[in-house]
Amino acid sequence: MKSDTIVAIATPSERAGAIGIIRISGSNALKIAEEMFSAKGWCKETIIPNKMYLGKIKTKNFLDKAFCMYCKAPHSYTGEDVIEFHSHGGIAILRGIVREIVDRGARPAEAGEFTRRAYLNGKMDLAESEGIADMINAESEAEIMQAFRLMSGEISKAIVEASNHLLEAASNLEAALDYPEEVAEDVITPTLVELKKAKEKLTKTLKDSENRRYITEGINIALAGLTNVGKSSLMNALLRDDRAIVTDIPGTTRDVLKESFMLDGVKINVFDTAGIRESQDKVEKIGIERAKKAIEGADIVLFVMDASLEETKEELSLYEYIKDKKHIRIENKGDIVKYPRKADITIEANTSKNVDKLISLIMKKTGVEKSLNGMMLTRERHIYAVKEALAHLEEAIKAYGLVPTECTLVDIKAAYASLLKITGEDLSESIVDKIFSKFCVGK
Amino acid sequence: MYELKNNKYEAIVIGAGHAGVEAANALAVRGHKTLILSLSLDGIANMACNPNIGGTGKAHLVKEVDALGGLMGEVADIATIQTRTLNSANGPAVHSLRAQVDKMLYQRTMKKRLEEIKNLDILEGEAKQIIVDENNKICGVETALGAKYFAEVVILATGVYLNSRIIIGDHSEWTGPSGFKGSTLLTQNLIDLGLDIRRFKTGTPPRLLASSIDFSKMEIQEGHLGNPKFSSMTDFDLRNDHPCFLTYTTKESHKIILDNLDRSPLFNGDITGTSTRYCPSVEDKIVKFRDKERHQVFIEPEGADTHEMYAQGLSTSLPFDVQEALVRSVPGLEKAKITRYGYGIEYDCMNPLELLPSLGLKKYKGLFAAGQINGTSGYEEAAAQGLIAGINASKQIRGEEPFILRRDQAYIGVLIDDLTTKGTNEPYRMMTSRAEHRLYLRQDNADLRLTEIGRELGLVSDERYDRYLKKEKELKEIRKNLSEKYKVKDIEYIFERRGETLPKTEGVLAKELLKRNYITSEDLREISPTFASFSPENVKIIETELKYEGYLRKQKRAIKESLRLESVKLPEDMDYLNIDGLRIEARQKLNKVKPLTVAQAERISGVNPADITVLLLYLRKKNAKTNIDDSCSPETDE
Repeated sequence: MKSDTIVAIATPSERAGAIGIIRISGSNALKIAEEMFSAKGWCKETIIPNKMYLGKIKTKNFLDKAFCMYCKAPHSYTGEDVIEFHSHGGIAILRGIVREIVDRGARPAEAGEFTRRAYLNGKMDLAESEGIADMINAESEAEIMQAFRLMSGEISKAIVEASNHLLEAASNLEAALDYPEEVAEDVITPTLVELKKAKEKLTKTLKDSENRRYITEGINIALAGLTNVGKSSLMNALLRDDRAIVTDIPGTTRDVLKESFMLDGVKINVFDTAGIRESQDKVEKIGIERAKKAIEGADIVLFVMDASLEETKEELSLYEYIKDKKHIRIENKGDIVKYPRKADITIEANTSKNVDKLISLIMKKTGVEKSLNGMMLTRERHIYAVKEALAHLEEAIKAYGLVPTECTLVDIKAAYASLLKITGEDLSESIVDKIFSKFCVGK
Repeated sequence: MYELKNNKYEAIVIGAGHAGVEAANALAVRGHKTLILSLSLDGIANMACNPNIGGTGKAHLVKEVDALGGLMGEVADIATIQTRTLNSANGPAVHSLRAQVDKMLYQRTMKKRLEEIKNLDILEGEAKQIIVDENNKICGVETALGAKYFAEVVILATGVYLNSRIIIGDHSEWTGPSGFKGSTLLTQNLIDLGLDIRRFKTGTPPRLLASSIDFSKMEIQEGHLGNPKFSSMTDFDLRNDHPCFLTYTTKESHKIILDNLDRSPLFNGDITGTSTRYCPSVEDKIVKFRDKERHQVFIEPEGADTHEMYAQGLSTSLPFDVQEALVRSVPGLEKAKITRYGYGIEYDCMNPLELLPSLGLKKYKGLFAAGQINGTSGYEEAAAQGLIAGINASKQIRGEEPFILRRDQAYIGVLIDDLTTKGTNEPYRMMTSRAEHRLYLRQDNADLRLTEIGRELGLVSDERYDRYLKKEKELKEIRKNLSEKYKVKDIEYIFERRGETLPKTEGVLAKELLKRNYITSEDLREISPTFASFSPENVKIIETELKYEGYLRKQKRAIKESLRLESVKLPEDMDYLNIDGLRIEARQKLNKVKPLTVAQAERISGVNPADITVLLLYLRKKNAKTNIDDSCSPETDE
């Protein structure tokens, strides 16, 4: 697991299609790049630093064209050996590349870690440092906010459980070491059980998360509006064919149509609701109920209005119904605005005009925007942390009983610390607290 | 007003307990004319509670104090009447020497030592106030008598004496421990100086008359042989002729306590000070762990010249009649005569976040604090702080940079960093689990880690230094011989003895042997005349280094980055509240602690790695503006 080579996506959150830059820094950067990138003249003996090489990047799942540049220490941003890959910016591609780099021994960087290294190596560019400060914490805040939400409930539960087993294990052994005369009970056997349980949990978590291709939750968007205002066209515009459509939930009636697509690593679920109005029709009533539910469960409601028609009483009462939810008022049919209304944005769903702007607005209003960059990395970090914890844990179990307790504790605490990086808790006092809540010690 | 003639000092230490004596010694040995004040000269280095020195984590502190030229180790060795090594079943990093100490002998020996120190005056008296001039500069101390003593540095080492109140059931008095009077005047002065004063609580068990105890009903606990000593200056064998005894509380004891909880000041609200989880009272233990059938009670001698015994485990502030019943409910103590009742004691102390890692106060240059006033518990913790406060008070007088031990150098570093970075909400006790560098911070290498540093500080005598050099030299010799090779067929018996299979190779090196977990340095000394010629302790140290090697490397890797951040200094006067980009919580925490290095900032809970990067960016900008060279010279990785 040893590595002080770090990797991160350096480009800000641009949507699919743009160029993405992945940066690696550390003593293994060049070695990793040599292994996974090939181009004319790209070999250790002949590489010219600071030159862009066009070539092929290879991961387990795909082969893609990319540029690669090597900045030799100390003449780089961080002062260490740095590799930059400029690739297609699609989410799957960027993630695939990062994962490959991690598999080859790099570690996903913490928020601001490149900058920190630059500082420590006396390489901090003053001009560059202006303005970075705000970004770093914004990024890390958003990550903390999103991290657990984006992890499926099951996985986060498993991580918490595993770290609890490790806490039990560490406090058992520490209590016996710090209070050898007072802890009379056998802690050795139950501790091994805790370690094995933690290992089992982590192994399963890792397997689950590797199998899971997409984040299970995501942003829920409800499209609301009267009939024929252009909801379906907007739906189609959102689901441009260059975006991967994820699922078509079976059993969804035409009353509430759900479509999902991936946007920069976030799953977006769009619910197109039927027009909500009073109705005696039994079938329609069911549809209306579903629509109401979709609106209730939405993170944001897109309220679509037809600018070519006059504002009706029906429209007003429908707006009344959603106005307390987070929402965006959208004026559609922007090419024929006859009756302008108060709106957050004007679009043309048919020609996709301003739909990109609408997406930015959605991202901003739902608070996902600032986290986009971090999120994907956060996931990689989590996976890395679990792997790291597992490696320490395996060593602890392997040597259990063969080495003195204080040595086993080095591995247990390292595993525990890795998991705490995910849950964000503080290691130092938690073990002491656990000792005193569990054992009657101290005199 | 009458003016004293000889009242000009360089340093004044208030309090002559375990912290005060070390502080005074360090100052005087470093050549400063020093005054130490004590409420009672019979209370110098008084062991008000348990009759032991050392134990887990604490032994390490004593060894470190000794390596730095402190007094505790030498005096403890002289006063020892029994020793045990705790954790001997585990590895050397957690082996902890624990000595039963003759309290009176300890006290007398320490008093005499102090009296013999050049540059040091000892005076009985109560400090009334710290004399501070209009620029908040420390000028000296005024006593209750109205006498003034002048010095540019003052060290507060007041222990549990500030506004101390002793509580036994519904009876309480404003007095100090062990029958000594308390200090009633100084707290108000400290509050007036704007310091954050709080109230902590601790306690002590009843003392019993040995002749009234039936020891046959208890497990005897003899000392262990072959233990190390606290001081590398000690040549004589430590006494080991006073056993301890182990007995247990009974169901009856628990019933007595539970029936009388309404009379317990801990539970009826009379005691408001924060007590510590590290030394719980017996009523605490029984309430908190109701399911536990019995609790240990160790009966330990208070000294060699007394028949009083200390009832470790029965610490209590219950009324005297309940104490009588409680004691008699314990097997072997049915007829025990109580000579002194147990009591709880509340006292004023200070929030350690008032302190810099030098143990100097942030608000007053020249004012230092050490020991229980800083929110710790324990003689050893106090001594360690006293030594550091004394050194730094001297550094201040000389205008030198403060002396700060890092967490990877010493338990003393861990202790002071914990106090000044995290603070504490209860009396703090050292534990080995607090030291992330535990495998390296051992009692067997405290002298190797710190003697050179102590020498530079001028605290290590020629004799002590020579002993250290001799040890270093022999270790070097031993390391040189680690490639000595043995034929497997010649040393078969060593493997057979342990029931292990023979190595497949023809020959095996000494270092390969020592790395195996079933082969000891004694085995090596048995098979090799070369190693037999070295001292067993030193071969053992090499064995320990080899056995820990892999784990030490792992630990080092985990903390490398933090070590780099230790070299990045933060100005004391930094205004964190106005640094853009820092989260509000981080701003507040940083502003409260005012860390001296970025590494210390990183250890504050509530400050995350992103905040640290923001801080580094801020430093870069700030230093660029003021044209200060901030280039730190980090070692290259790997």
